[in-house]
Amino acid sequence: MRYLRLWRRFFAQAVVRETHYRAHFLTTLLVGLVQLGLGIVPTLLLFGFTEEVHGWSRAEVIALVGVYQVITGLMATFIAPNLNRMTSYLTEGELDAVLLRPVSSQFYLTFRWINVAELSNVASGIIVLAFGLVQSGLTPSIGQVLQSIVLATCGLVLLTAVWSAMVYLAFWLQSVGPIGVVYLNLVEAGRYPLTFFPVPVRSFLTFVFPVAFATTYPVQALSGSLGWGSVALGIGLSAIAVLLIRLLWQRGLRTYASASS
Amino acid sequence: MKRNLRVLQRMIAAEVAQQSIYRGAWVIFMLANICTPIISLLIWRTALANGARLPVDQRYITTYFVLLGFATMATSSWMAGFLANDIRLGKLSSWMIRPASLLIGFVANNLSEKFLKLFALVPMIGLVWWIFRDSMNVPAGAGRWALFFVTLALGAILVFTIDILIAAFAFWMDDVSALVQARVIIGSVLSGSVVPLALMPEWSRGFIDYQPYRYTVSFPVEIVAGNLSGSELLTGLGVQLGYVVAVGLLARVVWAAGIRAYSAVGA
Repeated sequence: MRYLRLWRRFFAQAVVRETHYRAHFLTTLLVGLVQLGLGIVPTLLLFGFTEEVHGWSRAEVIALVGVYQVITGLMATFIAPNLNRMTSYLTEGELDAVLLRPVSSQFYLTFRWINVAELSNVASGIIVLAFGLVQSGLTPSIGQVLQSIVLATCGLVLLTAVWSAMVYLAFWLQSVGPIGVVYLNLVEAGRYPLTFFPVPVRSFLTFVFPVAFATTYPVQALSGSLGWGSVALGIGLSAIAVLLIRLLWQRGLRTYASASS
Repeated sequence: MKRNLRVLQRMIAAEVAQQSIYRGAWVIFMLANICTPIISLLIWRTALANGARLPVDQRYITTYFVLLGFATMATSSWMAGFLANDIRLGKLSSWMIRPASLLIGFVANNLSEKFLKLFALVPMIGLVWWIFRDSMNVPAGAGRWALFFVTLALGAILVFTIDILIAAFAFWMDDVSALVQARVIIGSVLSGSVVPLALMPEWSRGFIDYQPYRYTVSFPVEIVAGNLSGSELLTGLGVQLGYVVAVGLLARVVWAAGIRAYSAVGA
């Protein structure tokens, strides 16, 4: 509860900050729109050559691109500004000041900074999702929408956990700037339905780099082809991931030897 | 010219020594570099296997995407932002009093980083090649491979001069980062780094085939992956050379005008 109140403060401060940099908001919006447009080009070209791929129609894949845009927008708003700072937290010794604060250091490092402008990508993603749903003629029930939201949330938690694990390597490697680039390139796989990949890659994208929970499963839930079993699996995996990431953080912290002393 | 080359040689050696400290980072960067082509490769192979009627076959798609990562790395340039900063902040002045070309530092940086990236990238491409060895198009003669490397080199020069051109706008503008970003985004689609240009719709053919970005990445890869006829090869090579010369001259004129307009900050 205290953490929720604290996070609300972070958010309010970020909104105030954003109003100082209005041009930044505009360029983020423009770049986001262009990237969304370009990201959809391969999908449109692909469905120019065929009607459906493994049971996915063009409209359903467009809905999936919308979900992808929402998820990556949320990650870019709430998670990326924090995890991208990991190297400087460790090499500049900024972590010292964090450890002294009366809050969980891991909470603070994961949620402190918020890039409000990226929320514009979430908005454009919702529009694309709605467009895709209307085009495909899907009318999800309340239960299916609920399933979808729970699965997308699991996807967010899982992606955050995997990305965190990648940047926590900084405790042992010192500099992890390039690892963020690997994450961003791998997450691109979420633009496409899981079944577009060969079977071994599917397991990789479900259990190792679980982008499937962020995009494919939520859309499948909306189209009604997913049971509560997958939801349970998502929640279970998320719980395990959070647990593991807590342990990894504690292990890493033990090797931290402050930059100044 | 000869002195410039000697200076360049020394600077490359120095850069290589400096940059090899970050060898771990290069490996990770190259890993990221081949992620996107591999994802695209898997998607398009699935589409083909699923009965999509593409204008190219599976061998073309596979060869194209396996070599794509190498071609984008070999022809890349990342200096526009840095050079623009040097111009804006007046750092260019310290280069102007040196007894060699202003841009030689950037050439040395470009070549040495690519040299180091090769060590990380080639084994990865080799592994992917081995996995897909059954559907790779391997041209019989050494001629096509020689052309591949020649056109890659020309493509690298073209990208580099486009970057000079864009950075030179910093002589007159305060912030060129939007221009740089636009170049990257437009280039990624028109150069064939996202989707092979062969898959672009029919109505865009005339434009797609002759716009400059095709000659930065796509054309060299097409030489190996596709079945460009002899005449198509010659036209392509001619167009590419034309662009290298034209953009080179343009960059020279704009750069010279910029230097005259340059008023070093802090001087």
